[in-house]
Amino acid sequence: MSRIAPPKVMPVYKRDPRTGVVQSQDDVCPVCKSARYMNPSLRFLVNPECYHKMCESCVDRMFSHGPAACPIKGCGRTLRKHRFREQTFEDIKVEREVDIRKKVGATFNRREEDFETLLAYNDYLNDVEDITFNLINGIDLEETNKKFEAYTRAHGKEIEENAQMAVQERQSFSAAQKLERQQARERREAARREEEEEKREVEENRRDVLNRLASGADAETVAKEGQRVQLKKRMDRQAATERQRQLQAAEDAHSECNNKFVIKGLKTKQKPAPEALVDPFGGLRLVDSYFTLQDDYIWEGIQEARKDVKQTAGGYDVRDYAHRSLVAAFSGLGVFVADEITQRDQLAQKDGVVGEDVGLKDAEMIHAP
Amino acid sequence: MTQHLNEDDLYRTSSQYRLWSFSPESLATLRRKTHELAITRASQYAPKSKSSLWQDGTAVDCLNAEECLRLVQRYLDQVRTTSDHFKWPVPVKATAAQYLARFYLSNSPLTYPPKEIYKTVLFLACKTEATHMTLSEYARRISTPADEVLAPEYKVMQALRFTLDVRQPYRGLKGVLMELLNLAEGRVGEVECVETGGAKALQAEMLALEVPARTAQTMWSAKAAGKIESKDVMDRINAAYSAARTILDGPALLTDAYFLFTPSQILLAALHLADEPLTSFYLRTKLPLDSDLRPKILTTIAACAELLASFSGSHILSKDERAALEQKLEGCRDPSTRDLVGSHAVAKRGGDGGEEAEEKARKKKAAREKHLKEGDDLFGPSLNGKG
Repeated sequence: MSRIAPPKVMPVYKRDPRTGVVQSQDDVCPVCKSARYMNPSLRFLVNPECYHKMCESCVDRMFSHGPAACPIKGCGRTLRKHRFREQTFEDIKVEREVDIRKKVGATFNRREEDFETLLAYNDYLNDVEDITFNLINGIDLEETNKKFEAYTRAHGKEIEENAQMAVQERQSFSAAQKLERQQARERREAARREEEEEKREVEENRRDVLNRLASGADAETVAKEGQRVQLKKRMDRQAATERQRQLQAAEDAHSECNNKFVIKGLKTKQKPAPEALVDPFGGLRLVDSYFTLQDDYIWEGIQEARKDVKQTAGGYDVRDYAHRSLVAAFSGLGVFVADEITQRDQLAQKDGVVGEDVGLKDAEMIHAP
Repeated sequence: MTQHLNEDDLYRTSSQYRLWSFSPESLATLRRKTHELAITRASQYAPKSKSSLWQDGTAVDCLNAEECLRLVQRYLDQVRTTSDHFKWPVPVKATAAQYLARFYLSNSPLTYPPKEIYKTVLFLACKTEATHMTLSEYARRISTPADEVLAPEYKVMQALRFTLDVRQPYRGLKGVLMELLNLAEGRVGEVECVETGGAKALQAEMLALEVPARTAQTMWSAKAAGKIESKDVMDRINAAYSAARTILDGPALLTDAYFLFTPSQILLAALHLADEPLTSFYLRTKLPLDSDLRPKILTTIAACAELLASFSGSHILSKDERAALEQKLEGCRDPSTRDLVGSHAVAKRGGDGGEEAEEKARKKKAAREKHLKEGDDLFGPSLNGKG
């Protein structure tokens, strides 16, 4: 008995290298019952109308002459050939849900900026999700579809505008990305070129020095000259690159204005006014009304402090001390406590119902443990 | 939009002006109300105490308002001497005295005897005025347990309404000294709206100032013979400064000056007492003659000077009198505030449920000790409590 090679086990699941679709060996078309065994390049298509899958040949055969009914038993929906497409998700339910969401999203495409408050936006999102849920799970289909139609009719123009805005944004974004990549590439190139230049120059210089030495010139002067020449070349090069960079920056700024994309329908955004310089005193200014600060006071305390290194080394100005002392000397000179307090108490009594307690709040703290 | 403030507006923003400035009437009213509240409270705890001072439930022999005030004043002086004993700078002294005075505006010695409060107040002042001494060192030097120093601190803070800034006249006095010396030298910082003859004229005027009165507090006296030179004027200024400084150290802190007047007025009043002609001359260079504030300012300064002059050292209680008052206080004080250290500890621990917390702490400690003991056991700790 000859040895029979064990039957080669064909893997049950295989991934198509070209399309990445997982193909099972037992895939059978429900319409023509052809299996992959007979037809290795069997491809299944699906129609978003009823999500029934059939092989490509069946689709060609049945729907090439115009719309026809779905051949699956129990489903008689009219299908069209151009709506058939490859299934993206393994789970057909997911496919269906994604299609529904795409449809809803194409209509309900408002943005957060269009809403006045975050709450309003969230309510809108909530309603959209309700509609989606109803459509996916087939709840209240009539009502939901009516809502859908109503919204589309009412806001048709805005939907279109929003869609346009989205498209243009995507375009401008990809263009900006491309521009950046290009600039980065150019910069790298420039850097590499500079490095090469530098290396070449150093080599040249060295050769030059050697030649000069060989031709019998004085070693020291040759060396010094060589260094000077090298330094000059380096400075020139740096100045040149700096100038070029400035020009480039100016050019960029100029070109940016020219290449501005015109986006329709955007809300005019006001540039925030430039921030005013922060005033640490909030608009308050202290005015010396009882004295004028002099530059120097002969009082020995001031004189000693002026000479003391410990005080002056840190940048302390002794006039600050004099100013502070004089402000303290007159702070409150024109404040007549008795009159102002009586006035304040009278006002408080007139205004407040609990005028009585204004003076007593402190006294009542006896009882606070 | 700039808003211009002058020095007076600056003072009006301080907490001392807003909360701790009074007219004489409102100050008296406040003190009276505080004392009355304390007495009413005393009548509540009176029947419970079996002291012989209480008979028929009426306050027979409680401290009256006058005695309370004098006791507080005695302790203001005590605070001053203690601060000097520690050799702390003078702002600490002034701040501590003010804290004590403010505390006793809203609390009464019947509830919180000053003997238990003044050490806390001094410690708080030294912390506020940036001459901090560690609590242990302070407690050691003042021979008091550290708990006793800390226990009333929160109550003091509450009574101070958490406003710890005390505006003082000392720095201002130095400023006035600086200006006077410059005037004597012939330099002047002209103030607008004030008509002066210029630097030289002012210097001449200073040299020609009349001598201070016999009652003035300054130590300076005119030279018997010869012209007065600028050096003499400078001596006069320095003497006036030190005399004013002494006044600020003493009577200013022991009277109600800080409540009724602003620090600027207090220091000028002290200078007025020290050397009247000098002060009037100085004010002439500062206040325009036609301003309507000028007479008012001068009267206020005069009133403050009167207040400071009317104080004399003999007003303060002597040691025996203080001891007598304190004994009386001992019998009629509020017993619920007797143990400040204990209530402070309870408050720190979280107040209610103190007993339960103690129980739990004890149980935990016992369990921990048992575990440690069994850890050392030869055969190891017990398993699950089963031996």
